[in-house]
Amino acid sequence: MLRYIIRELLRHRLGLICLIILTVLYAATILSQFLAPYLPTDQDLKHAYHPPTKIVLQDWWPHVQVYERVDPSAARYEPVAGETVPLRFFAPGEEYSFLGLFPTNTHLFGVDEPHRVYLLGSDATGRDVFSRLLYGAQVSLSIGFIGILVTMSLGFAVGSAAGYFGRYVDFLAMRLVEFVIAIPSLYLLIALRGALAEYFDPEQMYLLIVLILSLIGWAGAARIIRGMALSLRERPFVLAAEVMGQKSGRILMRHFLPNLASYLLVAATLSIPVYILAEASLSFLGLGIQEPGTSWGLMLKQAQELKVFTLGLWWLLTPGAAIFVTVITFNMLGDVLRDIVDPRHQMGED
Amino acid sequence: MSQSGSAITGWDRLGRRGPFWGRVVARMAAALLVAALLGCSSGDVSRLEREKYPIPRDAEVSQAEPGRYGGVFVRAASQQPKTFNPLVAQDAYSSQAIGQFLNGLTTYHPIKQKVVPELARSWNISEDKKTITMRLRRGVRWSDGEPFTAEDVVFTFQALFDERYPNRYQGQYTIAGEPIGVEQVDEHTVRFTTSKPYSPFLYVIGFIGILPKHILYDAYQSGDLLQAWSVRTALRRPERLVGTGPFRVRSFQPGQRIVFEPNPHYWRVDREDKRLPYIDYLITRYVQDANTQTVLFASGQTDIASISPGDVVGVRENADLHGYTVHKRGPASGIHFIWFNQKPGTNDKGESYVAPHKLDWFTNKRFRQALMYGFNRQGLAESLYFGRASPLHSIISPANERWYNPEVPKYHYDPERAMEILRSEGFQRDEQGRLRDSEGNRVTFRVYASEGDETVPRILSAFRENMTRLGIRVRIRYLDFGTLVARVSRHHKYEAAMMGFTGGPDPSGGRSIYLSSGRLHVWNPEQKEPHAEWEARVDQLVRASERTFDPEERVEYVHRMQAIFSEQVPLLYLLTPHEYTGLKDKWRNVRIPSMGSAIWNIDELYLRAE
Repeated sequence: MLRYIIRELLRHRLGLICLIILTVLYAATILSQFLAPYLPTDQDLKHAYHPPTKIVLQDWWPHVQVYERVDPSAARYEPVAGETVPLRFFAPGEEYSFLGLFPTNTHLFGVDEPHRVYLLGSDATGRDVFSRLLYGAQVSLSIGFIGILVTMSLGFAVGSAAGYFGRYVDFLAMRLVEFVIAIPSLYLLIALRGALAEYFDPEQMYLLIVLILSLIGWAGAARIIRGMALSLRERPFVLAAEVMGQKSGRILMRHFLPNLASYLLVAATLSIPVYILAEASLSFLGLGIQEPGTSWGLMLKQAQELKVFTLGLWWLLTPGAAIFVTVITFNMLGDVLRDIVDPRHQMGED
Repeated sequence: MSQSGSAITGWDRLGRRGPFWGRVVARMAAALLVAALLGCSSGDVSRLEREKYPIPRDAEVSQAEPGRYGGVFVRAASQQPKTFNPLVAQDAYSSQAIGQFLNGLTTYHPIKQKVVPELARSWNISEDKKTITMRLRRGVRWSDGEPFTAEDVVFTFQALFDERYPNRYQGQYTIAGEPIGVEQVDEHTVRFTTSKPYSPFLYVIGFIGILPKHILYDAYQSGDLLQAWSVRTALRRPERLVGTGPFRVRSFQPGQRIVFEPNPHYWRVDREDKRLPYIDYLITRYVQDANTQTVLFASGQTDIASISPGDVVGVRENADLHGYTVHKRGPASGIHFIWFNQKPGTNDKGESYVAPHKLDWFTNKRFRQALMYGFNRQGLAESLYFGRASPLHSIISPANERWYNPEVPKYHYDPERAMEILRSEGFQRDEQGRLRDSEGNRVTFRVYASEGDETVPRILSAFRENMTRLGIRVRIRYLDFGTLVARVSRHHKYEAAMMGFTGGPDPSGGRSIYLSSGRLHVWNPEQKEPHAEWEARVDQLVRASERTFDPEERVEYVHRMQAIFSEQVPLLYLLTPHEYTGLKDKWRNVRIPSMGSAIWNIDELYLRAE
């Protein structure tokens, strides 16, 4: 089944493109410490709101243009004619642990101090937007996966149990689902965030937010899975397994899960962007990730200022582009997956 | 009483004169008809017909250029007043609205930088400095035409000292444990007595707007004074909001705007005997978001706005198009700081407020000085504020030119010096570069802050980076403002926090910060006896400055007090952003002071002839 989906996906042009984009994004996220020239907290107060540095070819080697600040009051920088520094690959920088395996200080690229390379400019305290974007992706891109992991497991556990066992289990589970759905989630988020903020550092806020988001997000999935489980329960192979005396847990895992897999896959793909957007909007409202942490939503929030437009600091809006691309790709991938899965989605007909 | 019948049709839901419904309806109909006939050709607003009343005998003659009547002044505020009752008002937005229609006895003149008469005409201070006799302006009338007398003054103080009506002025007007005594001498003279000589008296006495006895006496008698003059009053019966100020409330629409019109009985006139103010309507629109306020101003829709340092360049681009100027005001008057909890001892549950080894660092002035040297405030001024801010060096902002001491010890960014000091106090860096004290404890602390606007997290992130360079680990936790205040002022369970205070023109406003017994002496508040030797010295200087009536001597005491604070740095000062105010060029008689409201003399502003 899985092999079939992958084969079909690779054959599908749109699906292939989406898959490639997402692979690149996630690879960049995993390797962010290596790819980013600086730490996301690394500030340089002399280079605030620095525009993206130009890369020029000189003697067949890429060089980074040097800028000087001509007007601090308008954050205006001008390139210094003729002054460039060579871009170094595998340059030494801040120490980190490569994929958590071994410590190293090699970064993909960098320039010699005191110059700095800003591929996507710098922010209010001279931090590299490119590095922050990569580190921010760790939050923004993983939040969806952790989120669906929790919601889908919870949704499957509650939904399939309700559908399979029926009666009072079903009744209790569905009342619980209705209760969760009835909670106004934005207010709950604001309240929980306000009540718990005192006990968490900004760095831990990330986990808190995933947890809150997924604990109120599983109910919808549980309801649909329950419906599908209800119809599966009457199918001959399930009845056969019951007659043979298989345990309920085994039936759920061996017979229900594979039959629900295609739905779970599509639903998961389509709900990842929901989490990404939820994180972005929460951070935008000031309820999400906080300084000195970084996420795309937080970076966008910090760009929500008049001066970004009046002074033309467009590079501060790049996290918005990143969110846009990611969400669109996930949605298209979900669509393609549904097209592939649907023909075989013939439950209750054989 | 021929009055503003055909005024702004759109704004006013009901005319001002409540009882005469028939007339109101008729007038509104007429106004609508006129407006419909004229269309919008004559502009949005028609001229205000002024009521003519005799000029009071003791009217003050404004020395400003005589102008002409007319014009609408529009400004934006982020919040609407929560009350129109000065005894209830706690926030700046309510106070600002109340200030338009109520006057105090004295007021602070921001250009002359001294206390000038308002409803009082003149005053005498007795030999022993404990009795102040104030003569009131004669002939002044309330905005409803009733005469203003000493009875109103006595009533106001009687009301604010009444136990049934707790309010913030009670503390302000209690000097050395005794409330100020007030008695009426004759119809236009009041005598104040204080138990001890108190030099900021003339400044402080102007804080409370004098209330009209003929309007509020019934509510006072029945115990409902705090319910009087609420937002409902402004909504339903704005004519009940009677005052002596330049304006009176014309209409109030919650969440949208408040419209003021000139008080026809106002007591200031110009040199040509024309009664002030010149402006026909003063409108405050409620716009919550600061960015939106700036955009409104930059697109010519409001007459005045405060512009943040980062937006100055962008807003100036439209200056010619919409005819405004962005004025530089100089440093802001408030102070912002990070501070360490220095409260010794334990709470009821036996937990110490601060871990003992940390308390040792926090109470060590050399530790605090080292952190000041290690904090790149100049860099922050250049980056975050676009060079439009400067590091703060004293507990009084340089905006307050009269009291600011430019000679205090200063801490310029010097990480090496910071390290040196830390080493001399027994701190050492281990192999990983982490700072440890002489007993081997890792130096780390947690700062609590309220997110507020965008600058707070950025300042704290920069502070954290700077401290990391010294090997100090700073953790930051954001709380909402109420929780933060409760934590630092009630539970005292925290290591460090970041906050700010607004500044006033006279240092007597800061006494609860300076005095060791003060409520806002945040690092160790409400001490029975000064805990540290230097705190005892500060206490003496503050008390001495309040006893002496010699202005030079007072300044000297306040300067010495600032020097002690800057040497001890119980507060790690942050930055003072420079203030910018955008104002339309069409207004004349504008005199922008270095601190306080830019339109403090709004009664004198008039519209330039086209």
